[in-house]
Amino acid sequence: MADELSAVVVDDHPAVRAGVAYWLSCGTPPVKVVASGEDVRSAWLGEGAKADVVILDLHLGGPAPVLGDLRRLVEVGRRVVVYSMRADDDIALQCLELGALCYLTKAEGAEHLVQATRAAAQGRPYTPPSLAGALAGDRSDHRPALSAREVEVLVEWFQSESKEFVAQRLGISLSTVNSHLERIRVKYALIGREAPTKAALVARAIQDGLIGVDDL
Amino acid sequence: MADRVLDRVGTGGPAAAGPAGPPSARPGRRAAEDRAESPGDESREAERHVFASLRLILLGVTAVVQPSLSLGPVLTQAAHPAARVAFTVTALVTLLSAVWVVRRRPIPLPVALGGAVTVLAACAVATGTLPPHAHFGPAHWSYGLIGWHLLLLLLDRVPLLLAAQAAHLVLGLAQWLLTGAPDRAEIGNAGVAVLSATSFQLGVLVMSRILLRSARQAAEDAAERERAATRAALAEQWEQDLRAGFAGQLGVTLPLLADLADGVLDPRAEDTRRRCALAATQLRRLFAENDDVPDPLVHEVTACVHVAERRGVAVSLAVSGAPVPVPTDVRRELTGPLAEALSAARERARVSLLRGEDEVRVAVVTDASGESGTDASGESGTDASGESGTDASGESDTDASGESDTDASGESDTDASGESDTDASGESDTDAGVRAGTAKGRVEVECGTYGRHTRMEVRWRTS
Repeated sequence: MADELSAVVVDDHPAVRAGVAYWLSCGTPPVKVVASGEDVRSAWLGEGAKADVVILDLHLGGPAPVLGDLRRLVEVGRRVVVYSMRADDDIALQCLELGALCYLTKAEGAEHLVQATRAAAQGRPYTPPSLAGALAGDRSDHRPALSAREVEVLVEWFQSESKEFVAQRLGISLSTVNSHLERIRVKYALIGREAPTKAALVARAIQDGLIGVDDL
Repeated sequence: MADRVLDRVGTGGPAAAGPAGPPSARPGRRAAEDRAESPGDESREAERHVFASLRLILLGVTAVVQPSLSLGPVLTQAAHPAARVAFTVTALVTLLSAVWVVRRRPIPLPVALGGAVTVLAACAVATGTLPPHAHFGPAHWSYGLIGWHLLLLLLDRVPLLLAAQAAHLVLGLAQWLLTGAPDRAEIGNAGVAVLSATSFQLGVLVMSRILLRSARQAAEDAAERERAATRAALAEQWEQDLRAGFAGQLGVTLPLLADLADGVLDPRAEDTRRRCALAATQLRRLFAENDDVPDPLVHEVTACVHVAERRGVAVSLAVSGAPVPVPTDVRRELTGPLAEALSAARERARVSLLRGEDEVRVAVVTDASGESGTDASGESGTDASGESGTDASGESDTDASGESDTDASGESDTDASGESDTDASGESDTDAGVRAGTAKGRVEVECGTYGRHTRMEVRWRTS
């Protein structure tokens, strides 16, 4: 298939690389892992340089998160899904600020990873429950102003891990839940530093009619 | 209420306006309180007591010494009228000081100083009337007597007393030497007289200081003993409270154990197991409550989750937001409903703790009774679990009432009623989301059934 999605997995644990590759290949449509490696070089060289999505572990052996590598990847327009062991709100928000399309904790399973990868391949953001919690609990000064409904969606999604549940509880449709989540991410993309992925994300949202040009 | 307030004002008014009773009683009580508060006051009180007693004794000594030892010489040998005046003056000073001494009050400084100067002057006058070579002899009645006066007047002012005694000595010696050069026998005589009088009086002074010190120490020891006794009583009270508190927080455990022991409950019954699960969770949470950890709320929530996981429930726990300090009773209210909701979970539960800008939200979404409702309608014929599910929800009323008996906090009531509401409606129509929210103080509990899920959320507004 010519338009088969491809991904590169950067993680220092071979078992994680193998597991992620397996999960992605099992989805429909499958995502092909074209390269994987224990450091970020595999995302810059060979097949990995052309992959649609980079799945990046933040802790590659060293104690400090590889935020610099994330920034460099995002600056050249790579779509990055951060896949981290740490459920740290600040780090998650920092990754979004840098331009990652998703921050996923390893406690969250295959389903979220596959959806996040697929969304990222299209330049869309994906907000897993833990990230929703981080956004709902965001107390920083420069956070965007979210509507009451958007906060409600974030909190409910964080609390239930089930979009069907959120839709049922708030009396809205599933797609409304998704568009709320996406609009929240657009609001986050509009603050802080600029990144090609963020611009693409906003452009996509305008194209979808999620936000108007005057909202910018 | 208003009547009682009026009543209190009515009785309080005349008492406060009463003549001398309450005002004098009040400072007394305050002094007693102050004394109980600080050890310094204790020893000061003891000091006052010792001084008052010593002064009484000295007053007696002076009163006895003056007529018994001095009156004779005044009447027989020193016929000079000035000596009689001096004698009378010193007797008057003794009488004046008796005004304070017999009331066990300290002699005021001006009176003490004035008295000291007066007796010194009287002594000088009396000495001045002595014939030559009579100094420090039997006729020199004033020398030994005045020392006692000085002691009586200046007992609690040691530097002044020493200065006055020194002045007395110097004055006596000067007057003696001015009368002419003494011979050796006179010098020896004077030495003995001065030494005996002065050392005796200084000895009294030293004894008074020693007495004072031991009295002070005794008072401090007594106060320390009292404080220790108070501390012990407090500790005992605290332990009793803790025990009573534990008994109160044991929740459903005690009645459950009693029922199990009496054979009223069947340990294999679904409902019994659910109640056991709740009791286990409550106990585990209670044990975690007093642990010293950086984030007690997460610690307690985790404790509840662990019990559920040991029961075989797959629980996913998510914590978001920075830790905020949560008081113990609020933590109890936040985690109490969580324990109940988790004990009702069958296979899966999602527990989340969100700490936002101005509120803390603990939520749990489980597959508990909503599932039992759909099961009951869908598989009631084939599966027994549907039946037991309805049983459980039917009996949750008894459970709730049993708990409200044991748990003193009103929160369990509201929560229990919320749950039973949900259960009841869950049976009547399964699909519609039903809410049963209750608010108690700043903690709000909200329960609801949505399709296959039951959601319970507790919110606490921090501001």
